[in-house]
Parts: sequence; structure tokens; C-alpha cells
Amino acid sequence: MSPSNIVTIRELSKEYRQGEIDVVALNNISLDIAQGEFLTLMGPSGSGKSTLLHIIAGIDRPTKGICRVQDIDVTKLNESGLADWRNQNVGFVFQTFNLIPVLTAFENVELPLLLTRLSAKRRREQVKTALELVGLADRSKHLPRQLSGGQEQRVAIARALVTDPKLIVADEPTGNLDSSSAQEALSILQLLSKQIGKTVIMVTHDPKAAAFGSRSIHLEKGELTN
Amino acid sequence: MTIAGFIARNALRNKRRFLLSVSSVAVSLFLLVTLQVALRELTNPINDEGSTLRIIVRNKVSLAQPLPARQLPTIERIPGVAAITPFSYYGGLYKGDEKFTSFAQFAVDPVRALDLLSDAKVPPEQLKAWIADRTSAIVGKMTADRYKLKIGDRMPFTGQIYPCDLEFKIAGIYEGTADDRNVMFHQKYLDESLGNPGTVGTWWVKASSVEEAPLITERINKAFANTSAEVRAETERAFQLGFVSMWANIKILIGGISMVVVFALLLVTVSTMSMAIRERFRELAVLKALGFRRRELFAFILAESFGLATLGAFFGAGGAWLLYRSLDMPKLTSGMFVVFEVTPQMLALAFTIAAVLGLLSAIAPMIGVARTSVVQGLKTLD
Repeated sequence: MSPSNIVTIRELSKEYRQGEIDVVALNNISLDIAQGEFLTLMGPSGSGKSTLLHIIAGIDRPTKGICRVQDIDVTKLNESGLADWRNQNVGFVFQTFNLIPVLTAFENVELPLLLTRLSAKRRREQVKTALELVGLADRSKHLPRQLSGGQEQRVAIARALVTDPKLIVADEPTGNLDSSSAQEALSILQLLSKQIGKTVIMVTHDPKAAAFGSRSIHLEKGELTN
Repeated sequence: MTIAGFIARNALRNKRRFLLSVSSVAVSLFLLVTLQVALRELTNPINDEGSTLRIIVRNKVSLAQPLPARQLPTIERIPGVAAITPFSYYGGLYKGDEKFTSFAQFAVDPVRALDLLSDAKVPPEQLKAWIADRTSAIVGKMTADRYKLKIGDRMPFTGQIYPCDLEFKIAGIYEGTADDRNVMFHQKYLDESLGNPGTVGTWWVKASSVEEAPLITERINKAFANTSAEVRAETERAFQLGFVSMWANIKILIGGISMVVVFALLLVTVSTMSMAIRERFRELAVLKALGFRRRELFAFILAESFGLATLGAFFGAGGAWLLYRSLDMPKLTSGMFVVFEVTPQMLALAFTIAAVLGLLSAIAPMIGVARTSVVQGLKTLD
């Protein structure tokens, strides 16, 4: 593994059973992702790109192979260890935002910090910084239903980066957004990668969205095609 | 934001459902506590200080069968007997009461009865007046207050058991017994009205000491063995418990209703919690993705479920406690329930049931959350 790589994947496979059929979601994938890279995963539906993203993020397990993130083989961690690891190292951005509807924007962003030992004051500072970074400091008291889709996704991005993780994973983050909001969200992700040095891995169908990344890889039937 | 605040926010996200769920727990536990209080009142004999010394002697065949008045000297001579009085239940219907008179009337020997009813406080001049006039009676304070009776008033009764109607002049008002509702009048007056049949309902005997009481009952039973009127002597406590046993079916009925209430409550809370968690499956998956561990999610679910149930218990059982403390139950129930008290044990029972409900209703959602992976959870409702 090169010292500059944050993610090292070797001979990774994922198979699961759907009814009577064995499905090969990933087949013998090997991949390196460098620190600070903005990698986009592209491919048709069912190609395995989301599965690969989930394994890297530690919310799914491979059938075989190695997935090392920052020198830790996440496939070897138990559930509790994996939960701690995710909290400290991974920020999630989902297609449907997945904000908690009863919490304000501020509280949604603060949520991952409740698992840390930070003081309330320190938590407030970090949340404020994250919201400022996505341009929503003035919307901190709004509930998700009082925000537009683009604003909700920016809150989700703030929540993903509030714990200062090395890795941000985004699963079709622009899928539910209009082009202008999508542009804003992608610009923020690009900024996080280029200026703050976060590694961003994004799954997308949209070539225009993929253009924001520094590298793009394609999957088809669970295999890398380039 | 705190974890507790987050849990509260989740519990209150559907305010109407939350309110209805808490209300259903509260109403059910209110009903349960009410049933328990009623059951206690119906089956738990009232005890006073003198009850430990009193022995009731009744006909061995049945309580309804009278005893010969000639038994008195025989019982009186039995070692350990400190006092004795006839004690006959008249069971009359007081004027104005159409079907049921909520207080009992007993024919006694006024002089002898005083030794047995040591708890009753009657002013000496009233007592003297009662003893002097064989058509007079003393009335318990609760009944006097309820019917606004005063000394010198007359109380007419229609006989329901005995074929005679009686009218008493109130000579005194007593209080201080465990049940200040009864009317006591002269056995002689009843005898005369019935044509001196030479019988009494029961004998009430006072033992010289608590230790002697069991021996005395044995001696009395033996004294009348193989006579034409065999007796059954027993302590007042045993006598009362004999009455209680007649409520057996009521006990089973109330117990059964209570079980149904608790079971219905369980179904309601399980259903509510399952619904509440099912709706949030994806959110719980998001929390897992953010780093919340399974045990933390379990704690959220348990706290919510437990909170809902105990809040229901607070309003239900607490409400019952408050309500029955402030209501005049003897008046409301026409004297059927003298003391309608929610005991600490009943409150503890209600809160224990609520706690168990909270725990049980959290189990199914917790299993669901444990079985669902983050990826599966995120796909929910997508």
C-alpha cells in the first residue's frame, strides 16, 4: 500500500442470495484511493457501486477480500468496533438526505458528536463551523421540512464533516436535487476534497456530477471496467 | 441537545399518537387500580383493636339458624370468657331506602355489649339513656351524618328477615370503631316484637386474653357438642374471613377483568411501540451509520417505551389516588364502600405493571432493529 493511499482494496468480492439466486455484487475488485482524492463510482444499476461504497464505509461486509481504510482492515472489526470507527472516520451523505425530521438543522449536525466526549461548548463550535462551511449558519434553527432539498443536502454534508472524518462517502447525493442545488452540493464536496483534503467517494449515474471528481471509475456486473 | 432530549423529541414526534397511547395506559391502569381498591374493600375485613379478643358463636348448621337464648349461662361459665352479649342481625329496611339499606342493625344486650365494643365512644349520658329505654338505639356517626340524624329522632325499619317492623328512638351516637355505620338496639325489644321466641342470632364473646381466645373457642364448641343446637365458635377474624370466602366468585371475576385489562394494555403498548419504531427504521439505520451502537439504539427504544408506560401509570394510578382521596366515597356509594383507599402497594403494582409493559413492548422493536443491517434499514421505505 502506498503511504498516500487512504483506501486499499484487494480481491474484494461480495455475494448474496436473493431468493433462489446467488447474486455476485462485486467480483474480485482491487482498488487504491489516495488521500484527498474525489473519486466517483459510476456504472449502471446493479453494477455493485453502492455495495462497494457501503463496504468501504463499513456498513456492509464483503464475502472475501481486504478493505483497508487508514491501515485498518474494516472487514475484521466487530459490529461495535465498526460503529466507533464509522463515527470517527466516515461521513455519510445519502441521496434522500436522511435528516431526522424532529431535529433542527443544528441538532441534526450535532447528532454524531453526541457519541464523542466533546463538551457542549466544543460541540456547538464544531456544528457552527460545519454549517458555516456549507453556507447554512442562518438556517440552524430550521427543521428539515422548513428547508429546500438543496439546503437539506447541505445540512447532511455538514453532518458528514462535523466529526472531521478523513473519508466522506456520498451515495448519489444529487439524485433528489434540481440542477442548481446539485451544483451547490457538488461544489461543496469538491471544496472539501481540494481545499480541506478530505477524501470523497461518490456514487453517481450522472456524468456531469462525475465531472466534479478528480477520478472516475466504472463498474459493470461487479467488476471494474477501467 | 442531549440524548434525553433526543429521546423525548422522538417520543413526541406524533403528538396525537403519544397522547392517545399515554391515555390508554392511564385509563387502563386507573381501571385496574379501581378494581383492586374495590376488591380490597369487598374482601378485606376491617379490623379494630378489640377484634383480636372477640369470638363469634353461631349455629353450626348455618349463620341463618338462630341459637337458643338459654345457652348464655353455659357460655358465661366457660373459663376465660370475660363478657358475652347476644348479637342478632336484624336486617331491616330504613324508611326511604327502597331496596337496600347500607348500614346494619344489631340487637344486643346494651349493658353486656359495652364490654365487647370497647372501641365505641359514646358520651356517658347517652349511654345511660340507651340502657334505660329498651326501644332506643345508638347510631354510628357515619350513618347519623349521612341521614342528618340527631338524638331524639326516630328511625323506622321494615323487617326483611324477621316478620316485624321496628322503630327506634336515637339515644346516642357513637364513633371510634372501624366501621361507624351500624345501629345497635336492645335484644329485648326484638324478642318482644317477635313474641319472645327465646332465640338470638349469634353470641359475641370477649376472651380474657389473646392467648386464651383459641382455647375458649374450643371449649365453647365442646360445651354444645351433641346438643340440639351445636355451635361454631370462631375468632372474629376467622368469622370475617368466612364472609370473605363468599365473595370468591367476585374475586375471580375482578381478578379476571384485571388480567384482561393488563393484557389489552400490553397489546396497545406493543402495537404503539412497534408502529413507532417501524416508521423510523430508516432513521435508526442512519443513526447506526453515524456510529450509534446497537445497545444505544436499544436504550433509545427502551427509554421511549418505558417513558410512555410510566407516564401512563403516573396519570392513571396517580389520578386514581388523587381522585379517591378527594371524593367522599361513602356518600357516593351510599355507604357501600367506607374506605376507598389506593394503598402504596396498589400504586407499586400499577407502576410495576407499567414497567413490565414498557420492557415487553420494547422487545419486538429491539429484535427488529438488531436483525436489520444498516444497508437493509436504509433501503426501508425507499
